[in-house]
Amino acid sequence: MTAGKPFSPAVKSSVNRRALLKGAAGAAAVAAVARSFPMPAIAQETTWTLANSMRSVANPYHATFAKGGEDFAKTVGAKFETLVTDGNSEKGISDIKALLQRTGGKLILNVDPNDSPDARVIVEEVKKAGGFVVTQWNKPDDLHPWDFDPNYVAHMSFDGVPTAEAIANALFAAFGGEGGIVALGGILSNVPAIERKLGLDNAIAKTNGKVKLLDFQPADWNEQKAFDITQAWITRFGDEVKGVFAANDGMGMGALEALRQNGLAGKVPVVGIDGIDAAVKAIEAGEFAGTVAWDPLWTGGMGLAIPYAHVTGKIDITKEPKEHREFYGTGIIVTKDTVADYKNNPPKTDFGDLWGKATGQIQYRS
Amino acid sequence: MDPGLRRDDGLMGDHDLIGRNRLKTAALNGGALAQWRKWAPLAVLLALCILISLFNGNFLTIGNFIRLLNSAAIPLVLCMGATFIILMGSIDLSVEGIVALTAVMVSLLVTNDISPYAIGLFAVPLAVIAGGVMGLLNGLLHVKLKTPSFMTTLGVGFAGVGIAMAVLGGDTVRISDQTFRFLSLGRPLGIPMAVWIAIASVAIAFIIQERTRLGRWLYAIGTDEMTARHAGIPIERTRILIFTVAGLFYGLGGVLSAAQFGQGHALISQGRLFTTITAVVVGGTALSGGVGSVLNSVIGVMIVVVLANGLVLMGVEPYVQQGVQGLLIIAAVALALDRSRLEVVK
Amino acid sequence: MMPPVLELRGVSKSFPGVKALDDVSFAINKSEVVGLIGENGAGKSSLLKVLNGIYQPDRGEILVNGQAIRIVSPRLAFDSGIAMVFQEQSILPTLTVAENIFLGREEEFLRYGLISKARMNEAAAVELKKVRLACHPGTRCADLSFADRQMVEIAKALSLDSRIKGDVTILLDEPTSVVERKEVDLLFEIVRDLKQRASIVFISHRLEEVLDISDRVYVMRDGKVVKELGSGEATVKDLHQHMVGRQLHHEYYREARQAAPSSQVVLSCNGLCKEGAFSNISFPLHAGEIIGIAGVIGSGREDLARCLAGHSPADRGTLTVDGSVVRFGAPHEAARKGIGLVPSERKTEGQVSAFTVAENMTLAALPKYVASGILRFAAEHATAQEWIGRLKIKTPSTATMVGSLSGGNQQKVVLAKWRVAGVRVLILDHPTRGIDVGAKEDVYELVRDMTAEGMAVILLGDTLEEVIGLSNRILVMRDGEVTATFEAPPGGKPAQVDLIRHMV
Repeated sequence: MTAGKPFSPAVKSSVNRRALLKGAAGAAAVAAVARSFPMPAIAQETTWTLANSMRSVANPYHATFAKGGEDFAKTVGAKFETLVTDGNSEKGISDIKALLQRTGGKLILNVDPNDSPDARVIVEEVKKAGGFVVTQWNKPDDLHPWDFDPNYVAHMSFDGVPTAEAIANALFAAFGGEGGIVALGGILSNVPAIERKLGLDNAIAKTNGKVKLLDFQPADWNEQKAFDITQAWITRFGDEVKGVFAANDGMGMGALEALRQNGLAGKVPVVGIDGIDAAVKAIEAGEFAGTVAWDPLWTGGMGLAIPYAHVTGKIDITKEPKEHREFYGTGIIVTKDTVADYKNNPPKTDFGDLWGKATGQIQYRS
Repeated sequence: MDPGLRRDDGLMGDHDLIGRNRLKTAALNGGALAQWRKWAPLAVLLALCILISLFNGNFLTIGNFIRLLNSAAIPLVLCMGATFIILMGSIDLSVEGIVALTAVMVSLLVTNDISPYAIGLFAVPLAVIAGGVMGLLNGLLHVKLKTPSFMTTLGVGFAGVGIAMAVLGGDTVRISDQTFRFLSLGRPLGIPMAVWIAIASVAIAFIIQERTRLGRWLYAIGTDEMTARHAGIPIERTRILIFTVAGLFYGLGGVLSAAQFGQGHALISQGRLFTTITAVVVGGTALSGGVGSVLNSVIGVMIVVVLANGLVLMGVEPYVQQGVQGLLIIAAVALALDRSRLEVVK
Repeated sequence: MMPPVLELRGVSKSFPGVKALDDVSFAINKSEVVGLIGENGAGKSSLLKVLNGIYQPDRGEILVNGQAIRIVSPRLAFDSGIAMVFQEQSILPTLTVAENIFLGREEEFLRYGLISKARMNEAAAVELKKVRLACHPGTRCADLSFADRQMVEIAKALSLDSRIKGDVTILLDEPTSVVERKEVDLLFEIVRDLKQRASIVFISHRLEEVLDISDRVYVMRDGKVVKELGSGEATVKDLHQHMVGRQLHHEYYREARQAAPSSQVVLSCNGLCKEGAFSNISFPLHAGEIIGIAGVIGSGREDLARCLAGHSPADRGTLTVDGSVVRFGAPHEAARKGIGLVPSERKTEGQVSAFTVAENMTLAALPKYVASGILRFAAEHATAQEWIGRLKIKTPSTATMVGSLSGGNQQKVVLAKWRVAGVRVLILDHPTRGIDVGAKEDVYELVRDMTAEGMAVILLGDTLEEVIGLSNRILVMRDGEVTATFEAPPGGKPAQVDLIRHMV
């Protein structure tokens, strides 16, 4: 993701309309505001409609994910739509069904399913309608693209284990590699939460007891909870805490503010994952020791580019190897040393290089 | 006719002492029990504090006390508004929406990395008023369209989050205005500024509750709206006003949230609604209306905050925490409830 | 000649299907006490609501001191000098006495927008003195007895007197229906006292009281004023005739139908005790017998009744039903043993107002109307139809909501419910509270019918007279103990004074 100014005006307006319409359900007054936003101009040169579906556009990751899709659609001059689940599986699926209906099955869908089981329903619906789909992050372990040839094109994910391990090591390095840390986890049942915890555990194990995990608390990806828990930790452990590991940047920010309230910001390093703007700035300020930037521009665009290559005959997806059907993307570790470089040279995405950033076939650990 | 002997009335030359005394005792008994119940939430809070300090001596330190107050500050401000609504027998689910909207608004108005406005502390009253306007909207829709407060406030809450999202498009505003951040980080007399603001909010809410017509009328409406109407109370106006006042408190909560995290985004208020309603109910304010007080909610907030803090301090397994939290909340409510007078529970 | 302080001319008010007020004309002169009587549904309540600004009349006008006014809100009624004491208490239990008295009119105690509690309590104390209620104005009303709350209600109306320049009219809606003799005497004293300053409309079911206190009496029936008479020229019997439009042809309590009970004991108490409520209660109850229990509030008779009906178990002693010792943990266990309670709070305890007549009647015997888990509506309807006929319940259909029936008919539905359930012991707690004379007689008739069929009744009467008139035997309770037992055969009824001596 490009740090600093992630949105072009065109994307912003389409995104805004979506969110506004949602709000309009509650208050008619809002509808009046919605009308003042311009309708996005849509180029229409291909019969295929491209769409990205995700939880919401209120978080930077998904907002950029949507922008990646839009960027790709522009390069090929296709119609592009953004679908938002609002964390509601029913809504997500029924929106997709409606869009399949409307496009007569001529739909290329890049979807981050609200919940793992949704992926199967979505894949089946898309196959039935004759569209093409790429899934991100969430799917059942026994659901594979090659079982739904050719409509289920690919599944993309990021491996939380090595990522978390790498960022944990960055944290240890920041306080000198010896001492106690505390860790904030995500919702206990989420796959990324489990993977990131595993990565942290691996990193700690490799220090041979030099780094000790004082306490682990799930803060449910919630900034506020992270704040309150970190406050309690300061009471409980005092200066035993040498660093704070947060399974995402949002919680990391909550922890950082709790440290700030106690005059510890910049003294006790924090790491997070996701690479949100605030975290990058906190790294520059020396308060965060690091974060991991996903590449949502890449996932958002490539999830459309690969199936588009298939429908336009550039590749035959059924003939591609498994590491091209289920693969991990690359997370970028941003630390104090690399942050300047990251900001000056944002990751570039070449939509022609379909698997250039893939880092191997997905492993199933359970 | 049965002679009635119920008045302790010197004027009447009442000759029946036995009946009279019996009744006095009965009234006292009922009174004592009611008195005890009134203090049940405070007893729960104290018991909790004692329990936690047995496990971890650090709990009873001044540092931790300040941290607890700091965690309690924003919920306290929000609860002042929510208590009024609940005392009135309504419910307000727009807490998160209004907090999100006002937090985003205030963070865009002070010096920040997205918008050019930098009006400093003038942004604070503007955001608080914006909260009031959202509350007014709650009240107007609820009263004029006669939609249940549950649905109305849910809708307005969604609208609040929706507008916040629309304005930022998922972005996060970073606040660089240090004067504004003083509202959370400042420590006059060693106590965080947010805590002073919360204390002031409680004082204002208490005065509204005890010493204004609005306070009186909201109890009347919450107890029995028809009777209140017969007494000539302007029900509609009072309801709208109370929702507006609640909105003002949420607006202030939004300002404090932005100051605390140094940023504004649409999800900044996530989880606030649940904490707020829980704290009000745990404090002993009845969801049916008419019974309770903003002071009860102060205790309620402290119970919720101390519990969360204490579970971490005691090192309770994360997997067990939620269960313990749920059980203790039910226990607190059960203790405060006068079941002898309550034969029907809905 | 001064114009009347309050006058209604040709006021009509209709609701869909009902003409609540039909061309009602009505006048109250200065310092006059006017009685207003009528059966439930005669239009008294509608008339009051029109005067209080809750209903707007369709036709006709309201004049205060000869000036036509439009009363659009309770507040405007108040400012026009019309205060009302409601039949359904309008005292809010969560507020203090003072807060209740001045509810909605706090402005006189405002200083810089804040209420001065001290000044409000002071002013309330003045009003409380008028009703001679010696409680602190800061007491929460929840902590007051029912009768005291009624007095607060009256104090609230009286507070108008010192706050309005013009003449004051106070409407007392059933102020005595739930208070007892001593309060009634006090109330009358207050009313007579008030006459110096205000005009009073007195509405009551108790015709003797109306005659006693009023200068003139208006009789309403079917939404019309059917008779206006000076109280000196009327008797209770006259009023009753005008009210119901028929002759009092039976003797009131149907003493002639009082039969000697059988020797079969259906229920007996042996040394029943409950801490703080009653102690050492022993008596047998025979089939076909009515046992009346007399006692002041706090005598423990209500607690005893609720205990027998399974609402709260006794601490010691035994309760025997049909020869076997029982201990009830819940009302349904008592119901299974054939004991039913008709509670005094009909609206909240006796019936489900939003249920239909049929649904209420079968409520306590629902299993009988269920076939393989499904309700048999036809059977339910048939039963309801039968009991509507037997008890002469005035209802448009079995599917009418009970809440929309008159008080007397509601009470009949409650009685029918227990008869459908097949109870053999019925505990009647103030069965005629708040229902009008005609309906009372119907209830007495029903009670006699039931005992003739072998049911046994425990009666906590609305008045001593009622207890004496209906019962075969009377237990007098005081401070939780039975202080005397009287046999009360027809023609040999004990006198009230004899009972009272053991009550206080």
